[in-house]
Amino acid sequence: MNRRDALRKTGLLAGSAVAAPSLLSLLQACNQTPRLNWTPIFLDENQATFISSFVDTILPKTETPGALDVKTDIFLDLVYAKTYSPEGQAKVKADIDQFNADCKAKYGKVFAELSKEDKTACLKDHEANTATFNRGVWGTAVGEQKPVGFYRQLKSQALWAYFSSEEIGKNVLNYDPIPGEYLGCIPVSDVGKAWSL
Amino acid sequence: MANFNIDADKALTYDAIVIGSGISGGWAAKELCEKGLKTLVLERGRIVEHVKDYPTMNLDPWDMEYRGGLTPEQKAKHPIGVRTGFIGAANEHFHANDIENPYTEVKPFLWVRAHQMGGRSLLWGKQTYRWSDLDFEANAKDGHGVDWPIRYKDIESWYTYVEKFAGISGEALGLPQLPDSHFLPPMELNCVEKHVKERIEKEYNGRNMIIGRVAHLTEPLNGRGKCQFRNRCDRGCPYGAYFSSNAVTLPAANATGNLTIRPFSIVQSIVYDEALGKATGVRIIDSETNEEIIYKAKIIFCNASTLSTTQILMNSTSSRFPNGLGNDSGELGHNLMDHTYRVGASGLVDGFDDQYYKGRRPNGIYIPRYVNLKDGPQSDKFVRGFGYQGGGQRAGWGQGANMQEFGGEFKDKIMNPGPWEFFITGFAECLPNHENKVYLNKDVVDKWGQPTLSIDAEWGPNELAINAQMRIDAKEMLERAGLKEIMDFDKKHEMGYGIHEMGTARMGKDPKTSVLNGTNQVHACKNVFVTDGAAMASSSCVNPSLTYMALTARAADHAVAELKKSNL
Repeated sequence: MNRRDALRKTGLLAGSAVAAPSLLSLLQACNQTPRLNWTPIFLDENQATFISSFVDTILPKTETPGALDVKTDIFLDLVYAKTYSPEGQAKVKADIDQFNADCKAKYGKVFAELSKEDKTACLKDHEANTATFNRGVWGTAVGEQKPVGFYRQLKSQALWAYFSSEEIGKNVLNYDPIPGEYLGCIPVSDVGKAWSL
Repeated sequence: MANFNIDADKALTYDAIVIGSGISGGWAAKELCEKGLKTLVLERGRIVEHVKDYPTMNLDPWDMEYRGGLTPEQKAKHPIGVRTGFIGAANEHFHANDIENPYTEVKPFLWVRAHQMGGRSLLWGKQTYRWSDLDFEANAKDGHGVDWPIRYKDIESWYTYVEKFAGISGEALGLPQLPDSHFLPPMELNCVEKHVKERIEKEYNGRNMIIGRVAHLTEPLNGRGKCQFRNRCDRGCPYGAYFSSNAVTLPAANATGNLTIRPFSIVQSIVYDEALGKATGVRIIDSETNEEIIYKAKIIFCNASTLSTTQILMNSTSSRFPNGLGNDSGELGHNLMDHTYRVGASGLVDGFDDQYYKGRRPNGIYIPRYVNLKDGPQSDKFVRGFGYQGGGQRAGWGQGANMQEFGGEFKDKIMNPGPWEFFITGFAECLPNHENKVYLNKDVVDKWGQPTLSIDAEWGPNELAINAQMRIDAKEMLERAGLKEIMDFDKKHEMGYGIHEMGTARMGKDPKTSVLNGTNQVHACKNVFVTDGAAMASSSCVNPSLTYMALTARAADHAVAELKKSNL
């Protein structure tokens, strides 16, 4: 099964997905319970709604596409479904539920239903109170890595899912699949945005 | 490309048999075929034809269903690969199935295997450095291990010979401890690397920082294209720009018309003829049909990879060699070595925000050994030495995970190149130690019912003392080079993780203490040659593959000369 087939199986064809961000933001603007407009293959509806809302808060649409425009949420659901062990799958569900339970305790609602201000406050709180990733050498973290916790892991995953998408990799960042040469010192102004690969 | 001898009845007898088709086996095949010997290469895995069998070579992240992630089913086949972290969706097909090929870790040991035509030559790091007399004389000088039966002058011309054909890019420095190769033009350092180089060389008399010497073409050679700086080497290179058996030596061997490659051929043992006093052939198991077949030849080259070669020799018992072919000394399986290589430091470099680079260079920097040389600083804490690899680059979007920010401005900010990071990580020489060993385990058998290896090896006090020094020196160098937010580290990894396993059938002058002679022949069975990592009597601190290539070409030359004199 290729990725296209996988998406097709979710019942999401390209056309319907494009409507997602505007619909979601519209619903949020009205401060109503957001309704999920894609069909998760692994997460339950509440968990999927959380993922959509989370990635949209971390990486919203600006002049460049947002996380929902490139289906970051749908891809993460696929990753959980197809690449996680049963233990890992149970953990991600429990982590999402816990995140929402904490939100409810502190702000009275689950994350997706919070106002923009409360969402910001919630994520800022997590930013300030979680460990960061150690620098890596050849793909592995160096030094004693403290547990970074669910928030930063999910943020990191959201970045990966967003920046490894075809739209961002090919059309937003600088895409150079066959550089042909290595130039060690060039002005950054000659390139602009970072290389995508 | 090659003649595939799948129908066993057609030809059972050859002039030469080569066991394995990786870096050294490919060289053995090329040299023996070019010298006119009908040569059978026995490959345990499947055929991998250059370009045709590189299915992932052009895939972008989004072309892969999970963008590089492995499924639980894939991970289940590769528990060792998963532990190393070197395996992903783009190269999973080049890693052996760890479940079908078990081994026992008496002490933790990562054994990375690649069971297909080309072996690990498809996956290797491609750093290529000559050894020097500092290395070949080390055992004799400090008494660890046994003296090498060769010196640099014995192998120098063979280094040149293999380098001219393999294609090695690098910069000549004239250092006695790191002799220059026959070089193609070097790759370029980036701005920050140039800056750090200048600072380190100014701060420390006798230390150098250079671009890595690598088996990548920076100019076309023999019909192979030059490196396109895609850095997707471990998927197979469509340009043939890096050295692999598949792109370089096996096509040359095949062009002679003398090559037969037989895939799916697990070598069970080497057949020794008591009356003739030499080996007469190789017994294989067809991994698909389980059929046993004996192939005959005048000479046999063992190039199955360090531990697999030793496993085959151990499994090759006879009245003359009850403890394994060539094991009169009792040293077969002993003196296993590897390199530690995750000890170093990393930091940030200010002042180059307006600078960037183009291309994904499959190479980094190298700091050659600077302690315990003939002249200069000597350590009172350890013998032998170490060098560093490393490199500098700007962070990409990954910088965002740690930033205490999120939202639209954040997103657009991390689309720009991030801070410059620079790191060095040491590669330490490992002493030959009799206690670091492998042995046959008949209680654990593989998918084909064959005994497996138990691996019982760990770093000793000298390696740990070098590690401690590498960490201190790395931090100090980055500090004196003016880096910020420096983190020094020691991953304290198990042996095997360096994927530079060496020894277990060492060369030596004395048959009583070594397995092979100065031309890589089994002392007491001279028509069997071992020219992969098993032959190594010490480990140097530099990467070993180039030395396997040179030893193989040299041994093949000797083998054919001896055959002509009817000495084998």
